[in-house]
Parts: sequence; structure tokens; C-alpha cells
Amino acid sequence: MHMHKFEKVWLIFGVAALLVFLTVLGVSAFYLGNQPPSCLATIDPEKVDTTAPFNEPGLKKVEGKDWDYELVFVAQAFAYTPGEVEVPLGAKVKVIATTKDVIHGFEVAGTNINMMVEPGYISEHVTVFDKPGEYLILCNEYCGTGHHMMTSKIKVVE
Amino acid sequence: MAQTQLKNKTHTEVEDGSSLKGTLASVFFVGIFIVLTWVGVYFLYLDRF
Repeated sequence: MHMHKFEKVWLIFGVAALLVFLTVLGVSAFYLGNQPPSCLATIDPEKVDTTAPFNEPGLKKVEGKDWDYELVFVAQAFAYTPGEVEVPLGAKVKVIATTKDVIHGFEVAGTNINMMVEPGYISEHVTVFDKPGEYLILCNEYCGTGHHMMTSKIKVVE
Repeated sequence: MAQTQLKNKTHTEVEDGSSLKGTLASVFFVGIFIVLTWVGVYFLYLDRF
């Protein structure tokens, strides 16, 4: 089969780019252990208030885990519990969230923390809060008439 | 005297239809754009917590 030289050039370029992208994805998933925020962890949405750790929302120090703190959020129309929380600068935190009613969003504006919280599922994200400041938490899944009022705040303090 | 011969040559420049220079340029224009935006988003992801 005759193939033009240029065709070979862009086919090689395309295949090489695909391989690079897939390698990055594979390393992220299978070596670094990155996974979707909601990954197989479930909860009874009607018993959120009595199920640990959601019976005590907020920041909690933990021992013997890969992270130093657990930051627990419960979402419901149209608010988050806690409504405001302080996190020490440089802390490695596992953010854990779920919802008592409908699907909500959990976006910490300007950061990589951006997940859906779905009834019956627990969403998690581990990160190091290494930049001080105030971070707005927003619901980015339309959840009802008060959707636009649904916010919370994380203060990263020294 | 009337000239009856068919001497008026029309010279048509035939472009080489197999040239793919423009296609190559277009492909790499789109390709580089995709790679740059991907790299940009990747480093934004690494920079933020």
C-alpha cells in the first residue's frame, strides 16, 4: 500500500500523543491510586445522621491513616453542614461528603475538589491544603429552588 | 492570409494534486493546539490543591 510520507508523519504523531495521554491516565489510576470521588462506598441516605462519620460533621484529627484529618460534610437542600470550617495550612485532609436528599454538587471554587454527592453514596477526595485563604464551597448540581443559595466555606489558616 | 492552423497553444499549469503540504500544516495546527491545551489543563491540575 502506498502511503504519502506526510501521512506517516501525522499518523505517528497521533498515535504517539494517544500513547502519552493513556500512559499518564494509567499511571494516575494504577500507580498513584487516583479514583473517582464516589468509588463503591455506600450509605443509607435515611440514616445519615446516625451513621459515622456523618453523625459528627466537621474537621476531625485522625491517627494511623495516610491523611491527618477527615473533613466531613453533609449536604441537604439547601445547605452544607458545617456551614464554615477552618483547616490548618499544610494539613493532608480527606474530604468526605454525602447527601440526605437529592443529588448535590460539592465544588471548592478554585481547587481540584469538585465532586457530585449522590444519595446513597459517599464521595471522597484526599488533598493537601497548601495555600492559605478562604475557599467557597458551591453546589453545582441543580437541586431545587434554593440551589443558588447553597454554599459553605473553608478557611485555610496558619 | 487566413491562418487555419491550430497553433495557438494553451498552456495550462497543472498543480501537483498529490501535494499534502497544506494538509500537513492543518493537521499539526490542530494537533499542537490539542497538546498545548491538554498540557495547560494538566499543569493547572497539578498546581491547585
